[in-house]
Amino acid sequence: MSQPLILIIEDEASLRRFLVPTLANNDYQVLTAANGTDGLAMARTHNPDIILLDLGLPDLEGGKVLQSLRQWSRKPIIIISARNQEKDKVQALDLGADDYLTKPFGAEELLARIRVALRHATQAVLDTPVLQCGALRLDLERREVTMDGVPVRLTPLEYRLLEALAQRAGKVATHAQLLNEVWGPVGAGQTHYLRIYMGTLRRKIEPDATRPRYLLTEPSIGYRLNVD
Amino acid sequence: MGHHGTNPAKESALSDPPPVSADPILVALGSEARTLRMVHTGFRMAREQGRPWVAVHVEVPDWETAMEKDQARVWLQEARDLGAETAWVRASTVSDGLIAEGTRRKVAQVVMGKYRPAGPWDRLEHTRAQEAIRRTLGVRIVAIPLDTARAGSVQGGADLLGIVLAIGALLGVCTIFAMALYTVVGFPGVPPVFALGVGFIAHRWGRAFSVPASFAVVLAFASWFIPGRFPYLPGDWTNGLYLAGALILVQMVVLLVDSLHRETRSLRRREAETLLVMLLGRALGRCSTAREVAEVLAERLHGLFQAEAWMLVPGEGDTWRQLPEAPEAPPSPRPSELLPQFSDNATRPEPFEPLFMNACTYVALAGQGGAEGLLQLSLDGGRPLLQESWGLFQSLAVQGALALERVRYLEAAQQARLDTESERMRNTLLGAVSHDLRTPLAAIQGAASSLLLPEPLPEETRTDLLAMIRDESERLARLLSDLLDLTRLQSGTIRIQKEWQLLDEVVGAAVLRMEARKGPLPIRVDLPESLPLVPLDGALMEQVLINLLSNAHRHAPDSPVELRAWEEPGTIQMEIADRGPGIPAEFHQRVFDKFFRMPKDLKDGGVGLGLAICGAIVKIHGGAIWVEDRPGGGARFRVSLPLDGLPPSPCETETLLPTLDAPP
Repeated sequence: MSQPLILIIEDEASLRRFLVPTLANNDYQVLTAANGTDGLAMARTHNPDIILLDLGLPDLEGGKVLQSLRQWSRKPIIIISARNQEKDKVQALDLGADDYLTKPFGAEELLARIRVALRHATQAVLDTPVLQCGALRLDLERREVTMDGVPVRLTPLEYRLLEALAQRAGKVATHAQLLNEVWGPVGAGQTHYLRIYMGTLRRKIEPDATRPRYLLTEPSIGYRLNVD
Repeated sequence: MGHHGTNPAKESALSDPPPVSADPILVALGSEARTLRMVHTGFRMAREQGRPWVAVHVEVPDWETAMEKDQARVWLQEARDLGAETAWVRASTVSDGLIAEGTRRKVAQVVMGKYRPAGPWDRLEHTRAQEAIRRTLGVRIVAIPLDTARAGSVQGGADLLGIVLAIGALLGVCTIFAMALYTVVGFPGVPPVFALGVGFIAHRWGRAFSVPASFAVVLAFASWFIPGRFPYLPGDWTNGLYLAGALILVQMVVLLVDSLHRETRSLRRREAETLLVMLLGRALGRCSTAREVAEVLAERLHGLFQAEAWMLVPGEGDTWRQLPEAPEAPPSPRPSELLPQFSDNATRPEPFEPLFMNACTYVALAGQGGAEGLLQLSLDGGRPLLQESWGLFQSLAVQGALALERVRYLEAAQQARLDTESERMRNTLLGAVSHDLRTPLAAIQGAASSLLLPEPLPEETRTDLLAMIRDESERLARLLSDLLDLTRLQSGTIRIQKEWQLLDEVVGAAVLRMEARKGPLPIRVDLPESLPLVPLDGALMEQVLINLLSNAHRHAPDSPVELRAWEEPGTIQMEIADRGPGIPAEFHQRVFDKFFRMPKDLKDGGVGLGLAICGAIVKIHGGAIWVEDRPGGGARFRVSLPLDGLPPSPCETETLLPTLDAPP
């Protein structure tokens, strides 16, 4: 891919001042919008490859902007939000945002998230059935999980949970998304199911369950399968 | 009493008893003040036997006055407050009602009051009723002695013609007896027979009937016996006088008994009223807001008079608001117009009688320092409150006013305390924050300005200065979020979201976040796999662990920090232990104070918020946090979290997935 086009919808000038040169310096083309209305208009005219969206915009609610974008675009959207807005983040993720960044954040973290989101966007086209992250290998076609080549025996629910995380490899999956994909409508609100199965899954996959390397917890939001 | 075989008509407070594990105890409640003892006995017995209990009042037609019914409702309310189900049953006799209700609820035991019998027939009737209940329900009956005679029967709207006929028949029987006795013993046999008859009439139907009856007897005696219609009866006027005298005597005795009776009734009513006021006072004592006071008062008044009640109290500015807010009270005149005492130059409201207007009864909520507002009572059908209930209504209003006053003082005191506290807090905060914010800011400002100087710096210095800017700004960000957290935790704006979680996950997230910041750390975690799910707010508890672990690490950078957790009945215990210098005993409490730093740590860049945050978070979890000396040196922080609430239903168990090519 040539230089990917990034649209930043963010009202704070100082943050844009930091984002624009950082991203430009890392071979991205950058567009900025200072409010939701302009952002939506620019997204339509330029069809960017990825959008960074601040949830606290002056004119439109971040959730509204996200919904309008998702009506026609499947491109990755990364939410930028202040701390202590867990509810808004979860809502945005459930509405179809791909990932989130919490202010303040560093340049490395930002670039890593953008890379994952873009890779995921291209991977979805390739539709690779095999996922390799570190020693963990997941073959979605053969429904097979191995650690360093040794098969890991999982229960059907554990497998479904891992599969659901793998489908978003590197991106965060909210509690509600995971519960819905693994347990269906019965799972709604039963976060403790998720915690119990995540616990058993970690004991089977993680070398040290208290320092998880693959199955990361995003407090109050969900989980993430670490692919780096 | 005792018309068995009639179908009791039932009206029950609850349509169907909910399914319970044990059969309930049925407690029969009367309307007298002593009934309260029955309520308490029922509550005690139910608790001792671990059974539910049902309080039942049986309404027998024409037996109780409206006032007594009101009292019975209050006793039922008291029973409800003590965890009983209640039922109001209408039946032709008390035993019929109890049998019907007992059968419906499959009771295990019946508790009744044992009254001092008014006479042998009463004793017989009582035993017969108990026997009928015991036989029909097949249960044990517990009789609680109540050393008061049963409330006498009250004749309401009985048929006048029926009474006159009954009296006629009675006097007829008396005449036959008298004549029969006369033939045997002569005249001395006559007066006692009639005296007995008239006495019975007085007792059964009251003076209104007994006085005319005695006149009739004397007149009849005079006209039939004296003139010698029957030749063998010697006409003797002294006999007539004697008879009249005997009847007057009986009248007087009956009068006396009657007045005693009335006295007893009013005494008993006053006793009940005192208890009502006492019970209300107790309930109001537990209220901490005006709304709660209004709700308790409305509930009691509803139980007592079957009426809706509201408090009208001053609201913002010149307005009045009603409490409780729902349902809407009927429109009333402006309270300030209704009560001249409410005007600005009022000193103290005079105690005044209830006022009836617009289909509602009003009374002032007259407290010690002035009128707190108005009490509005709306009876069914817009009736006025009966005058005999005014006294009670007024006493209840006074109780309500005093409670309102107490609540107001309480709020004022709390506000004052809050004001001083927040003032003190602001001062400390300003002092600490200005220093702690200025230090990193100075570094950032300095580094940035030297980077902007026209003379180029060596590459190494540039990187160094930039790294410093990054680190100091991170420190600033942490300080700000700590301050924010603490403020929100202490102002109560953080809503704790407890979820059932595995401790492993929370610990894992905390360790990972610390290591992301500082690189690998020597933290040893020991969590048994058997630990249950713990109800906690993951994000907040992660903060606690991070604060405790980084404190431990800061004070003992070279030795491992150990984190353990175990279950104790009803709680989860956690321990974070280090091999650092430890904390002197005199600081064990104060380390959890805001901005407290141990004298030797004053220079290490901490702000003294970490442990205060831990304390606040553990507190809103309902747990406890403390520090102890670790045997062998070092500090040991302990956190105890309650395992409250019902653990979630376990997930379904599953078998392992048959993998395609894995060896079984």
